[in-house]
Amino acid sequence: MFSLAMRSIRQRPGRFAATLLSAFLGATIIMMFNSLLDTAGADGVDDVSSESLSTAAMVVGGYGSLLVFFAVASTLTVAVRQRTTEIDLLRSTGATPAQITRMIVGEAAVVGLVGSLLAIVPGMLGGRILLDMFQDSGQVADDVDHAFGTIALMSGIDITLLASVGAAFLAVRRATRAREQRAPRRRLRTWGGYAALGLGAALCVTGFAMGDAGPEAMAPPAYGAILLSVGFAAFSPALLGGLLRLTGGLLTAFGGGSGYLTVHGLRQRAAQLSGVLMPMVLFVGISVATLYMQSVENDHIEAAGLTQSVDDKNLETLNFVVVGIIAVFACVMLINTLYAATSYRSREFGQQRLAGATPGQVLAGVGLEGLLLTLTGVFFGTLAAVAGVVPFTVARTDDVLPSAGYGIWLAVVGVAAAATMATALGTARRVLRTPAVETVALAA
Amino acid sequence: MFGRNGRRGTAAGAVDGGAPHEALRLVKVTKVYGTGGAEEAAVTALDGVTLSLPAGSFTAVMGPSGSGKSTLLQCAAGLDRPDSGVVMVDGAEMTGGSETELTKFRRERIGFVFQQYNLLPTLNVAQNTVLPLKLAGRRVDRARVREVLARVGLADRMRHRPDQLSGGQRQRVAIARALVAAPSVVFADEPTGALDTRSARDVLGLLQETVRVDGRTVVMVTHDPVAASYADSVLFLADGRLVGQLNAPTADAVAERMTHLGDMYEAEGPHRAPHHDPRNSAPMGV
Repeated sequence: MFSLAMRSIRQRPGRFAATLLSAFLGATIIMMFNSLLDTAGADGVDDVSSESLSTAAMVVGGYGSLLVFFAVASTLTVAVRQRTTEIDLLRSTGATPAQITRMIVGEAAVVGLVGSLLAIVPGMLGGRILLDMFQDSGQVADDVDHAFGTIALMSGIDITLLASVGAAFLAVRRATRAREQRAPRRRLRTWGGYAALGLGAALCVTGFAMGDAGPEAMAPPAYGAILLSVGFAAFSPALLGGLLRLTGGLLTAFGGGSGYLTVHGLRQRAAQLSGVLMPMVLFVGISVATLYMQSVENDHIEAAGLTQSVDDKNLETLNFVVVGIIAVFACVMLINTLYAATSYRSREFGQQRLAGATPGQVLAGVGLEGLLLTLTGVFFGTLAAVAGVVPFTVARTDDVLPSAGYGIWLAVVGVAAAATMATALGTARRVLRTPAVETVALAA
Repeated sequence: MFGRNGRRGTAAGAVDGGAPHEALRLVKVTKVYGTGGAEEAAVTALDGVTLSLPAGSFTAVMGPSGSGKSTLLQCAAGLDRPDSGVVMVDGAEMTGGSETELTKFRRERIGFVFQQYNLLPTLNVAQNTVLPLKLAGRRVDRARVREVLARVGLADRMRHRPDQLSGGQRQRVAIARALVAAPSVVFADEPTGALDTRSARDVLGLLQETVRVDGRTVVMVTHDPVAASYADSVLFLADGRLVGQLNAPTADAVAERMTHLGDMYEAEGPHRAPHHDPRNSAPMGV
């Protein structure tokens, strides 16, 4: 079965591009931040430099790794779900569920490993750039040399592999069991969702207690916001269903044929869309949370009657860069997953066209779907971010909400909406170029 | 008049062309796959096919694999664009415009039944059936939908989804969907290809009924002589050309003709094959 896995990778490298890209980017980010731990642990590094580096690596590298884990896992889940036809074919030719599992998991392991190996050099370069920034901000002594050692390497490979193999295993188990027992089991997802929500809420609450701590005080609420995002993403199909119940009548009444397609299509596929919602919720949650926390921190310094020192400014810049990297990563994952999920739907689009839908109607349907996805993702992401920002704001200032206004939120939502719509519509347009008859014949 | 070239000429011909109830006409329809460059050979799937089918007829199109039957059906139904030639449905010429124009043209005039049903898995039976109306922005008459579904024997399965139905039931949903918009021509591409004999008989009976009772025109591609015997006449296709016709076919006669299709064709050679079967005077299907 492993040789079959290797062959299927070699025959269709394109199919693994999305998975490989996510593994590569994820591993790069983990290695980049965790190389700071290697650097901090090297001989001859003074205590102050070592502490700055470790704090940054723990705080940012920690939640970065968490984010990478879930993003890679969601891409893998989407990728495996698309292969139900192939899995059914293998079953009908006599493969046992265990063999199929070994094949899919084997593929995921190979792709994850290749992705993390490719990430080593970019991770080294990125780590060096990060160190330079710390040195420029004066937090780390100039004579500290960048080190890329076992911590960076092992954490990068381990987390990426664990995420891809774990997600592939769970997804393929669902796919191979689908036939035996009609109702797919969602216990793990439900419990995982509750656990993430509980832990996230607990972390957010600890934010209330961290009044005068240093910049690290941002860490628990930031972690909390991420965990809440993950937990919400697990339950997002239910909310999407609720949203459809509320707006379904309206959409079918005013959306014409496209509205009809969207409403009835989404109702059935709501569960599958959580793979797309995960990166979107994470993107909105992490960006909004960190950007507002930083603005609160700035207000706090100002309120204390201090002017922002050079160090504070540098810290702010560093924070923005770090959040920028992670936000860009979540955004790329969103595009990546949505692209994979949309290009897989060529058969469905073909059937819609054969039933009399014009390409314009199919596109409008995809657009409506993107809109509903964005609404759901933004709602949950904002909820998670607010849960993290409010405790931090209360701890730092006398207010409950940051004074920064809606500008940041609008900008983040704008980026999420633009990425979602552009990817969904762009991919669908490309898919629609294949004649309808061919798209349904391919899988027949 | 059927040999006339050019779109203007044939369009005018349809008006005064004597066949007032002509449901489908193809004039010199040609379709070539592949670029025909030095490396890959171009495959001529349709080689100047001309035919005319009266309204209220049930026609089967037969031929060996690769004879161009499915291409013929797809070009006639507006699912594929011929390289040259004219396709007219119900007196209106199908112009080689955008897919949107073709789709709108199809909605008004054409229903389609596929071998693989092509029902949307996310919609239930009733929703699949009304989909063409919804997409065309037409009013959905619930009584009419119920009537069409009762006609195909699925009135009690309206809330079932396709994966809860047997192959025969799915194909009957597909027929209901093809009929709901009251098209003038229904095309069926191997509609019984994936069905057991009993389901196949039901499906063929339904197609026959739409012709006899509703006066619709049905064109069906098949490779099964028994299926073809349900039609009023059978057209034989080989290497992209019409090579014969059989009226009031029996399964045995069709099988017999199919068996010798190759012989006759080989004897005459691919380039000398006549446009029509010499036994038939002018255009096929009239």
